[in-house]
Amino acid sequence: MDSESRHPSDEHHTPPGNPGVVPTATSSDIGQLIQRVVRRDRSAFAQLYEATAPKLLGTVMRIVRDRAWADDVIQDAYIKVWQKAGQYDAAKASPIAWMASIARNSAIDELRKQPARRSMGDEEIDEIASVQPTAQAELEEQQAVNSLNSCIDELEKDRQDMVRLAYLNGWSRDELAAHFDQPVNTVKTWLHRALKQLKRCLAP
Amino acid sequence: MTDHDNLDTLAAEFVLGTLPPEERASVIARREDDQAFDDLILAWEERLVPLLNEVTPIQPGPDLLARVEKRLDELEATTPVSLRRPPTATVTALQQRVRRWQWSTAVTSAAALVLVAVLAFQPAEQPQSFVAVFQHDDQQPAFMLTVDLDNRQLNIRPVTAEPVQNRSYQLWIKADELGPDPRSVGVLTNNMTIDQSALSQYDPQLLKKATFGISVEPAGGSPTGKPTGPAIHGYLYPTTEGNSGQRF
Repeated sequence: MDSESRHPSDEHHTPPGNPGVVPTATSSDIGQLIQRVVRRDRSAFAQLYEATAPKLLGTVMRIVRDRAWADDVIQDAYIKVWQKAGQYDAAKASPIAWMASIARNSAIDELRKQPARRSMGDEEIDEIASVQPTAQAELEEQQAVNSLNSCIDELEKDRQDMVRLAYLNGWSRDELAAHFDQPVNTVKTWLHRALKQLKRCLAP
Repeated sequence: MTDHDNLDTLAAEFVLGTLPPEERASVIARREDDQAFDDLILAWEERLVPLLNEVTPIQPGPDLLARVEKRLDELEATTPVSLRRPPTATVTALQQRVRRWQWSTAVTSAAALVLVAVLAFQPAEQPQSFVAVFQHDDQQPAFMLTVDLDNRQLNIRPVTAEPVQNRSYQLWIKADELGPDPRSVGVLTNNMTIDQSALSQYDPQLLKKATFGISVEPAGGSPTGKPTGPAIHGYLYPTTEGNSGQRF
């Protein structure tokens, strides 16, 4: 990807260990904020945004790779958070999984609508290879990260990369097929097998 | 491979993000009406979300929150009052109860059941009344139910719902005090009416907290005593114009 297409404000990347930027809200804090948002509490909404927007913007940016576009997606995502907060069920989803799914779905839907607006490049492969562990607010969260990582590590190398490129970078089946030089149906089969293997591995 | 496996794979690939656009769209539509399928998706979101640990946070620009809030203001200003959820604690609590009921019903009876939201409003000079709205979709109410709390009289009015041949609509009530299952209030007549005093046995305080549902049953009502028919989805629906919803 040509560097010109990156928005200049990419420099806003959070420096590691900056406590003013890394959200310190725990999962339960975020859950409580969502409950207040259900009651149409705009101040809770602003707090929820402050606590989660850096992570969600990072998530969306990784998929759409254009800052102005990512800002638009984030705006839509938080509108949906406001509108759908009443549907959030703490018994079925962790607060961050719920919010992240809204942001990721918005980003992927946008990307599929305008695939040409994003250029892809080899640095995305570097991206998935150079994982920067971030501080975990909670032990439970760290354990989930460790479990998933060790299960992904058990996949064949290509499939590890496919899962990360799809989930984190929003690559489509076609894009994966082109990069890995495989027929689309083969990629589909590999993805299905990889997902099943992950599920088995993660099962308690 | 079983259907469940296929659905689970579909849910998994939806969450992974690799489904082709038309399949994505059909998944999004299906999860709205299929709680079990939605649960599969939620489970996959939980499984994969730890991957986001690998995402570097990016501090948003200073004006993005203001943009979001401005957009919210615009939406609130342009959404007709009659379609807006009023910011009341009562409604919120009821809304959550409706969701709970949807799920517990799905678990206990496996029957898709209708849902409804109940909206309490108490204009100062009028008796306490409740209105429940039963919706087919997000656009049109199917029925409206009003309950005069003081007199425990109820009145049901079809809005877009129409009689179905050889089927009956049945009204249900659910409250914590009544146990885990919905209890039948009554079966609607062919003229889509119901006995106005059908709620007279219930305490007004219970009615205030209860939720209501309507299911489509075999003619004459559910043979099992529990809702068995297909769903009409419920959705909160403010009933009054003006600022009755703003009091809290």
